[in-house]
Amino acid sequence: MTTTMDPRIPPSRQREKPGQDLKWIGKGIRRVEDPRLLTGRGKYVDDIVLPNALHAAALGSPHAHARITSIDVSKARALPGVAAVLTGEDVAKSTGPLPCFSNPPTEQRCVAIDRVRHVGEPVAIVAAESRYVAEDALALIEVEYEELPVVMDAAEAVHATGDAVIHPERGETNVAIHRVFEFGDVDDDFAAADTVIKRKLRWPRSGAQPMETCGATAVFDEGEGKFTIHVNSSMYNYVGWLIAVTLGVPVHKLNLVPTLAGGSFGSKLFIHKVPVIAAVLARECGRPVKYLEDRIDNMTACDHHGSDRIYDCELALDAERRMTSMKCTVIDDYGAYFQFGIGHHGNALSQITGPYQIGSVKADITAVFTNKCQQGAYRGFGSEVSNYVMERMVDAACAELDLDPVTFRKTNFIQPDQFPYFIPTGNLYDSGNYPAVLDKALDLLDYDGWRQKQKDALAEGRYIGIGLATCQERSVFSATEFWSLNDEAGFALTSSPEGVSIKIDPTGNAVVSLQAPFWGNSPETMATMVLAEKLTIDPANISVTYADTDHGVSGTGPGGSRYTVMLAGAIVGAVDTIKDKLFKIAGHLMEADTADLELRDGAVGLKGVPGKQMTIADLAMQAHFFRLSFPDEPEFDTGLDATTTYDHPLTTMPSEDRKDLGIYYPIMGHMCHMPVVEVDIKTGQVKFLDYVAVHDCGTMVNPKTLAGHIRGGTAQGIGTALYEEYKYDANGQLQNASFMDYLVPTAHEIPANMRIGHVETPSPFTEYGIKGGGEGGRMGAPPALAAAIEDALKPLGVKADFLPLTPAKLRGLIREAEAVQAS
Amino acid sequence: MKPSAFEYVRATSVDDAISALSQHGDEARLLAGGQSLIAMMNTRLAEPKVLVDIGRLSDLSYIRVGGDVLSIGALTTHNTVLQSAEVAAHCPLISAAYANVAHHTVRNRGTLGGNLCHNDPASEMPLAASLLDAELVLRGGGGERRVAAEEFFVDTFHTAAQADEILTEIRFARQNEGECWAFEVVSQLKGDYAIVAAGCRFAIVDGVCRNVRLGFVGAGPAIKRVAAAEAALEGQPMNDATIAAVASAAVGAVDPHADMHADVEYKLDLVQALSERVLKQAALRTS
Amino acid sequence: MAKMPVAITVNGHRYEREVDPRLLLSDFIRHEIGLTGTHVGCENGACGVCAVLINGKTGLSCLAFAVQCDGDEIETIESLGTPSDLHPIQQAFWENHGLQCGFCTPAMVLTARELLSRNENPSRAEIVEAIGGNLCRCTGYQTIVDSIEQAAEQMRAGKGEAA
Repeated sequence: MTTTMDPRIPPSRQREKPGQDLKWIGKGIRRVEDPRLLTGRGKYVDDIVLPNALHAAALGSPHAHARITSIDVSKARALPGVAAVLTGEDVAKSTGPLPCFSNPPTEQRCVAIDRVRHVGEPVAIVAAESRYVAEDALALIEVEYEELPVVMDAAEAVHATGDAVIHPERGETNVAIHRVFEFGDVDDDFAAADTVIKRKLRWPRSGAQPMETCGATAVFDEGEGKFTIHVNSSMYNYVGWLIAVTLGVPVHKLNLVPTLAGGSFGSKLFIHKVPVIAAVLARECGRPVKYLEDRIDNMTACDHHGSDRIYDCELALDAERRMTSMKCTVIDDYGAYFQFGIGHHGNALSQITGPYQIGSVKADITAVFTNKCQQGAYRGFGSEVSNYVMERMVDAACAELDLDPVTFRKTNFIQPDQFPYFIPTGNLYDSGNYPAVLDKALDLLDYDGWRQKQKDALAEGRYIGIGLATCQERSVFSATEFWSLNDEAGFALTSSPEGVSIKIDPTGNAVVSLQAPFWGNSPETMATMVLAEKLTIDPANISVTYADTDHGVSGTGPGGSRYTVMLAGAIVGAVDTIKDKLFKIAGHLMEADTADLELRDGAVGLKGVPGKQMTIADLAMQAHFFRLSFPDEPEFDTGLDATTTYDHPLTTMPSEDRKDLGIYYPIMGHMCHMPVVEVDIKTGQVKFLDYVAVHDCGTMVNPKTLAGHIRGGTAQGIGTALYEEYKYDANGQLQNASFMDYLVPTAHEIPANMRIGHVETPSPFTEYGIKGGGEGGRMGAPPALAAAIEDALKPLGVKADFLPLTPAKLRGLIREAEAVQAS
Repeated sequence: MKPSAFEYVRATSVDDAISALSQHGDEARLLAGGQSLIAMMNTRLAEPKVLVDIGRLSDLSYIRVGGDVLSIGALTTHNTVLQSAEVAAHCPLISAAYANVAHHTVRNRGTLGGNLCHNDPASEMPLAASLLDAELVLRGGGGERRVAAEEFFVDTFHTAAQADEILTEIRFARQNEGECWAFEVVSQLKGDYAIVAAGCRFAIVDGVCRNVRLGFVGAGPAIKRVAAAEAALEGQPMNDATIAAVASAAVGAVDPHADMHADVEYKLDLVQALSERVLKQAALRTS
Repeated sequence: MAKMPVAITVNGHRYEREVDPRLLLSDFIRHEIGLTGTHVGCENGACGVCAVLINGKTGLSCLAFAVQCDGDEIETIESLGTPSDLHPIQQAFWENHGLQCGFCTPAMVLTARELLSRNENPSRAEIVEAIGGNLCRCTGYQTIVDSIEQAAEQMRAGKGEAA
């Protein structure tokens, strides 16, 4: 790779090279997390039972936008079994606004003070002897509201004035941010274009909806002046300290204890409102308080709805049918608050041009406030939308120019010899082999065979479609993503670390402390496999724990498909430290030069001398208990452990003018999704006939769990594409705040046999060449399904330019197309 | 989401339940399988002061065939009906209609009688009862009476049962040998409520359709059978022209309402498409 | 409202308690007797996460009151295998990666147990029908169907306990 000499690319910090003969990495072993989960022994947040605990409930606003003119909580307070009822004003006496990462921040309170901005926003909270009594108390709280104009339409929100302005303190507008980013010579490229393809595209508001909601159990120890909060949040070691700031206590007077999370998919990335509510009530009552969202709370007020965007997009092509430039005007409906700013677009700009050689790009981004629950993170964090947009534009180009979708993609792909490859925004793609992924998918699917079946079916009046999407899965985010799109950088942090502590006990077993929680991924399995590999010990001799913030070191946690890569980096560093010490001890005891020693199968041995070795267990015993056997030098001090923090493997700063966002999401995965569907044109129903997905996530740690992510993410992508949408009416009521009406796919709605393929193009920058793979399924399925449906309905000329394509909506498109054909 | 407080009464007999209902009037609700009622109570959409639990009245759980009637006790669970060979033999339309009713676990506890009394406008069973000329046996303080399905299902979530009455039995007309019938559902997720469902029964006598029953779920708040569509089929030979005429009559007669999942046009499209499908499927049974 | 006495047998143990009539079976299991393997996802009967076996058949514990279940026999996930001695269904879920976050898993396993007790050789379609009301947001279901299929095979081969 000659281009690694590019001065814009920092040298690789990779220590463990890909392509080694590995014992554990790459094996589909069973997860170490599972036995306790399978037997009901896993401890989720609601399983934390503290003596004398109270149970909280929150009264959600029935109005989308209103002033609170009065609240009378006297009847609720008088109800037997009620320990406390707090209004927003009561809470504000001790507690500040919730953490917010946008700049300027939007002020959000865990309980609204004088104005509510979306249905479900808490206006009062209760702690009582049981959740039943707490809910009884909610019914006794009397609130009077003065309704304000409700802003629901994102495009109209741009023009709102007066009482319709949702955050007047930020100025007389509902535009949260408007910025235009231009990378490369967009105008020149469009002027020189042979063809320009235009589309309006709509991405719907859906959400992660994990089976477990957000919850926290808080204790305030008045003697110590300290909070302890058990919470199922992720970034507790990274930004959890901000909760202490909100609560008005010094940061070291808050200990956040992670619990197992029953799924997150981003939606528990940083839970702020829930632990603050529990903590405020615990301080007020002097007793532990549990607050667990119910499903209505979670749907209406989780602070983690997914992206909700309207795109106007233009794609320029030259006469050789090469894509040269792209322009997007985006309105993004952020809802009532702005916790993550437009980080979602920073995310998308890391791979905005997809796997293609597109030389310039312009993004005109308008983020608006509306009276809906605010956006947060959901598997893809905004990049799933740009994948949909890119692939829709590619399909539109193929349709309008009558090009073969396979050939067109292959022609426009970044070729394997072009990596590492800078895209116009300044982000780097580390490695890839896109034609190989596509070829494997075509082969796995029997693409030609399905094309024939499609033809035969059409002759019988059946509409079969074959979808194709070739998409990126950026992985391992860097912190510059959070702020580089802000007008002012604000808090321009540059680290997104992952730490690990490894302790070898006197018998040679290892305890690994993670600085991040379990949220449905496989952190214990990943830690076990990488540690077993690197230290040559047996997985059975490893146990994994989760450090709380009192005992933890730096950590960021899962998110942005980063955790396995970052954890591997931390473990490699920690084991190198432990290995040094093992070698020193062994060298001393075996009277050998450490340079002549090697780790082999749980022992330190003399290279080239098979019998000459000491086991790690023997050496650990020495390290823990026999200090005086060794020289009086600090490196022989008692113990055998290491705490190591791994920083992002490849980040550079954005330029001042943001014409170059720097390298910030470079560990680039790729995928090809190919669903085959049949559309019932009379009912608009879609059923799966086949589904193939091939992913390239670099070196695979565990093919079994990676396939799990792909299938599960694809099921969520199917939900996004066909079923799921938070449906607000014009008054801001969320009409489908239950699983009765918010339709999560069941076992009936997914392909019966989704086939997974893998290509492994290692990263030159990460340990062993691993790339992330946690989000891919949901980042590939929606465009693939849109393509499949459009392909099926090609004889009718239907365009799939919005999601979800519910039966009613799809039948509507078909009806319109039939009318056009008839006329 | 937790229910409001209530007083719980476990009925030991039908008479016991009737007397509890009489005593508490509108404040009381019957609890059968609870699969709809408890969900509504958990969200406090329903807040009965008294729950009269009839779940243990096992003498209301049975399936019997006698003469031209298939009788099902009101507390028979959905799965019992769905898995019944007798139901499949004598009223196969019920079995077919059940294919999309909820999910296995809910069907384990949910009861046919509870479902009919709930009269959810998106539920398949009220339509099945209408198509099968069912009689609903009600017992109350004033004794026992039988109400025809067409009169029982008054309006959305509303039936002809009085506050002190209990549905004890549903008497379905047995389907005749050689009868043509079909039942089709369109829902978004399988087991989810129907957007539109259609069912039909008829006989072909001397080359024309007779004794026509044709109806829909999702066609309007109080609409089950659609007389105009039935009339368009009655006495007609089964052919494409008839099917088109029936579908057209059905579309003209129904009054679907838009909801968050589907607009009126879509529901009309489904009435059209499902009319055609059930007639074609039903006609195949003649051979 | 006055509390009412109930006697409910859970996993073979008889529990006698005084409970509010409105106490949901899910809360009885989780909070009265402390068996936290039964999870709660929606309390609306729409996710299947809280399913347990009630007199041998799956039932949603959020759609039943404890007082309704007086005298009933309940089985929860804790009645099956232990981490060191998994039930064949649990073992099959482990082998086939039939779980990720584990939140829906106890109900999935119990639903599979009921299915296999009435049908020792279910087709994949029958498995899908049985778990159709159990939402899983992690796996995409396919490996769950694989797991149940393999469990059935193992149990038929007599390698596990009788269903």
